[in-house]
Amino acid sequence: MATNPMHQFNVYRIGPEVKIAGIDISFTNSSLFMLLSAGAICIFLLLGTREKKLIPGKIQLVAEMFYNFIAKMISDTAGSKAKPYFPFIFSLFMFVLFCNMVGMFPYSFTVTSHIIVTLIMAMFIFVAVTIIGFIKHGFKYLKIFVPSGVPVLLLPLITVIEIISYLSRPVSLSVRLFANMMAGHTMLKVFGGFVISLGLLGGWLPLSFSVALTGLEILVAFLQAYVFAILTCIYLNDALNLHH
Amino acid sequence: MGNFDDFKTRLKIAKSNLKKTDNESSKEASFLGNAFKLGTELVAAVAVGTIIGFILDSWLGTTPWLIVIFFFVGAAAGMLNVIRTAKRMQK
Repeated sequence: MATNPMHQFNVYRIGPEVKIAGIDISFTNSSLFMLLSAGAICIFLLLGTREKKLIPGKIQLVAEMFYNFIAKMISDTAGSKAKPYFPFIFSLFMFVLFCNMVGMFPYSFTVTSHIIVTLIMAMFIFVAVTIIGFIKHGFKYLKIFVPSGVPVLLLPLITVIEIISYLSRPVSLSVRLFANMMAGHTMLKVFGGFVISLGLLGGWLPLSFSVALTGLEILVAFLQAYVFAILTCIYLNDALNLHH
Repeated sequence: MGNFDDFKTRLKIAKSNLKKTDNESSKEASFLGNAFKLGTELVAAVAVGTIIGFILDSWLGTTPWLIVIFFFVGAAAGMLNVIRTAKRMQK
């Protein structure tokens, strides 16, 4: 039913069913919107860097703003050592941002409102950061679980707490993005449903709420992408500059 | 030559002013971002602790004990996360 606020999160197949070794890898609406977001990023950045004027045009200005924003964020939170990871963090930020923003269009699908998508991204970051930490510091990286200046008696307990705190990173990273997007979009559809059911007489109040919520959702879409990227920087900082 | 020095100092002042406003605006964005971070930080650690306790329990056959212990350890880890995030916010 179109009035069901959760209907928008349905994943369905587009085209034929493809199965390899029992795993369903068919093309779905989720894949379609991922491709759309990635394509939009490519078109936007290609247009932005096409002319390379000294005095930038509109698109070039926005593209440069994104570049500066991420470059500054990385140097602020993770220092100059994190410069080689700029392409990764920039792509991550742009992908999350565009998925969130494409999801704001009516009748579209929000890729990041599914926990599996955000969890895969968070797990990738978590595993990559751990590997980077071990490559840079060897077994000394395990020191982040053993804070200095703790009495020997408390050390086992503190170490367990630190390990749980470390393991909770991908969970909090993925749940935050997924929960914010899903809750926001559900709320938008619920208020949209109120407009229809209250009709011409009482529908104006939920309609005005809907307009306000749309603005809020655009803010949340940007902020969640920002938080996702900045937390990646913070985790990278912990792996690159050991100082616990 | 004096003219050139004058230009240099003016450029320096303009650059430092630019840096100041830049920092302020990015601080506001990270302020809002931090507000979103804190809540899930606490909940995620509790969830991870409880899940670890549950897995260890069913593995070692000590059923209610480890899940209780790890629930509280997870809560402690969550508070540690929140304190760390809050400390980073104050910087």
